[in-house]
Amino acid sequence: MQTDLSHYKEILIKGIWRENPVAYQVLGICSALAVTVKMSTAVVMSIALTLVAAFSSLIISSLRRWIPSNIRIIVELTVIASLVIITDQILKAFLYDISKQLSIFVGLIITNCIILGRAEAFAMANNPADSFVDGVANGLGYSMILLAVAFLRELLGSGQFFGFPVIPGFLYDMGFQDMGIMVLAPGAFFIIGLLVWLKNSLPGISHEKK
Amino acid sequence: MGDLLSLFINSVFIGNILLAYFLGICSFIAVSKTIETATGLGFAVIFVLTVTSPVNWLIYHGMLAPGALAWAGFPEMDLSFLKFITFIAVIAAMVQAVEMVIDRYSPLLYASLGVFLPLIAVNCAILGTSLFMVERNHTFIESVVFGAGSGTGWMLAIVSMAAIRKKVRYADVPVGLDGFGFIMIIAGLMAMTFMMFSGITL
Amino acid sequence: MSDKKKSFKNSRIYVVMFALGTALVFGVLITSAATMLKERQLENMALDKKTNLLEAAGLVPEDKKTTPEEIKQIYDTHIREVHVDSRGRVIENPTGSSLQLYLIHTDQKVQGYIVPISTRGLWGKIHGYMAFEQDGETVAGFSIYSHSETPGLGGEIESNWFLENFEGKKILNANNQLVSVGIAKGKVENLPDKLQDHYVDGISGATLTGRYLSEGLEETLTKYEPVSIIFRQKEESQAHVETILDE
Repeated sequence: MQTDLSHYKEILIKGIWRENPVAYQVLGICSALAVTVKMSTAVVMSIALTLVAAFSSLIISSLRRWIPSNIRIIVELTVIASLVIITDQILKAFLYDISKQLSIFVGLIITNCIILGRAEAFAMANNPADSFVDGVANGLGYSMILLAVAFLRELLGSGQFFGFPVIPGFLYDMGFQDMGIMVLAPGAFFIIGLLVWLKNSLPGISHEKK
Repeated sequence: MGDLLSLFINSVFIGNILLAYFLGICSFIAVSKTIETATGLGFAVIFVLTVTSPVNWLIYHGMLAPGALAWAGFPEMDLSFLKFITFIAVIAAMVQAVEMVIDRYSPLLYASLGVFLPLIAVNCAILGTSLFMVERNHTFIESVVFGAGSGTGWMLAIVSMAAIRKKVRYADVPVGLDGFGFIMIIAGLMAMTFMMFSGITL
Repeated sequence: MSDKKKSFKNSRIYVVMFALGTALVFGVLITSAATMLKERQLENMALDKKTNLLEAAGLVPEDKKTTPEEIKQIYDTHIREVHVDSRGRVIENPTGSSLQLYLIHTDQKVQGYIVPISTRGLWGKIHGYMAFEQDGETVAGFSIYSHSETPGLGGEIESNWFLENFEGKKILNANNQLVSVGIAKGKVENLPDKLQDHYVDGISGATLTGRYLSEGLEETLTKYEPVSIIFRQKEESQAHVETILDE
C-alpha cells in the first residue's frame, strides 16, 4: 500500500522526467518555441501553461462523472479556452510588457496538445487531486524544456541572461561573437534536437524508437 | 495587387507558419512519414485555412472587435476577449462542415482527406493564423490571401520534410539522436533554407 | 455505472442542458474576469503610450527604473497633446483633417515636438513616435511601440541600436528641401557623403521592412511639413506655441 505522498511523488516524477511531454511524448512544442528567444517571456509562458494545465485537469476531473461522453472534447476545450482567456486578461492587466511580447502565443495554449492530452488521458479517469498533480507535473516537465531552450538561446544568441549581459568582455575582445542564428527560428530547432539527444542518452529513460 | 502577392510570398516563405513561427509541429512530425499522407494533410490544411481565416475575420469584425456591435446599438461593447474561444469553435465547426460536404459530394476526396480533417481542428497553425490575422490588422481580402499563403507554406514544409525523411531512412544516425531529435535538426536546416528567401523584394 | 444512468447521461435533453449550463457558467466567469480587469488594462495601455512618447523625446532617465507615477509626472510636466490644422496652426477641437501632435516643453518654453508615426510594415502596421528638435529639422529621437515584423529580422526595428541611429539625422537637405530620413540598404558609411545625414544603417535580412518604414516616414513627414515649417521660423513659432502653453 502506497502512502499518499509517495503516490503524488510518483505522478510528479512521471510527468516531469520519465515521460517528459516534450521529448518523450512529442507533444506540445508548437506554441513553445516562438517565445524562447528570451528567458523572461519563457518563464511567464511556463507559469501560464502550468497553471492552465493544473486547473483544467482539476476542473475536468471534478466534472468527469457528469460530462456526457459525446460532447466530451467540446467541454474540455471550453474549460481550457476559458482558463486561457482569464490568464490572458490577467497578463494584460498585470504584466503588460510581457503580454505584448507573448502576443498570440498565450492564446495558442488552447491548442497545446499537452493540455488536451492530459485532460483526455488522465483527468477523465482519475480523481481531482491526482489530476491536479498530474497537470502540475506535465506543466513543469514542459517548462523545464522550454526554459532550457530559452536559456541556451538567450545565452548564445545575445550573450544575456534575463536581459543582463553575462558573457565577460574579454571573450568578445578575443573574437567571440554572439551566434545570431540562435535568435532566429533554426536555432530553436537545433537546440531541441540536441536536447532530445542528450536526454535519450541519459540513464533511466526508455529510449524512443522511430 | 502587388501588395497581396508580396503578402502571399511572405507567408509562404519568409514568415512560414511552421518554420518561422513553429505552429503545427505536432502533426508536422506525426504525419510526415510518407509523401502521400503529407500531401493529403497539406491540401486539407490549405483548404481549411483559406476558409476559416476569412470566416473568423467576418466574425471578429462583425461582432467581437471594440465597437463592432455598433450596428446592434452597442457602440461601447468590446468583446475581443472572446476571440480565442470563438475562433476555436468556428474552426471546429468549419472542419466538421467541410468534412460533411466533402463526404457528400466527393467520396473519392473524402477517402484520401477524411482521416486528416479531425486532426486539423487542434492544429495550432489554424488558430495561429486566425490570431495573427487579427493581430496584424489584415483587411478581408488580405485575410483570404494570408490564410491561403500560410496553408501553402505549411504544405510545402511538410511535403519537403516527408521527402527528406524518405531519403534519410537508411542514414546511420547516432543512437539517441534518431527519431525526434533528428527530425528537429532537419527542420532547423529547412528553416535556414527558407530564411534565405528574405532577400526577395517584390 | 448502471446502464440506465449511462443512457440518461447521453440522452439528448441532458446533453443540451449540460452544454447550456457549461456555456453559462464559463461565460459568466470569463466575462466578469474581463470586465474587472478592463480598467487596469486600459491604464496600462495609456501608460505604455506615455512611456513611448517620453522615450522618443529622450525624457526617460536611462540609469534607473522609472515607476508609473514618475512617468505620469514627467509626462504631465513636459508633454502636451495638441491638434493642428493643415496649415500647422493649433486648433481647439480636432476635426477630420486635423493632425495630432505632441509638444515637448520645459518651463513654458517649447523644446521640440513629437509626430506619431503609423505605417505599414512587412506584416502589419508599425506604430511609433518621432521627436524633433526646436529647429524643425533635426531628429531628436525615435521609438517604436508596436509592430508585427519577423522576430530577429524586421523585428530588429525595435532594438536600441537601430532606433538610436536616428538621433541627430536631418530631414532637410542642403537646399532646405524635405528629404525625410530613410533606412539604408546596408551601412550608411557606404553612401555618398551628402546622403549620410539622411540615412540610418539598415537591418540585414529585412530589406522590405526598411523600405516600408522609409516610405511611411517620408509620407508622414510630408504631411507634418507645415508644422515643421512653423518651427523653422523661430521667433514666430515660439511666440505662437507659448501662447498655447500659457492657457
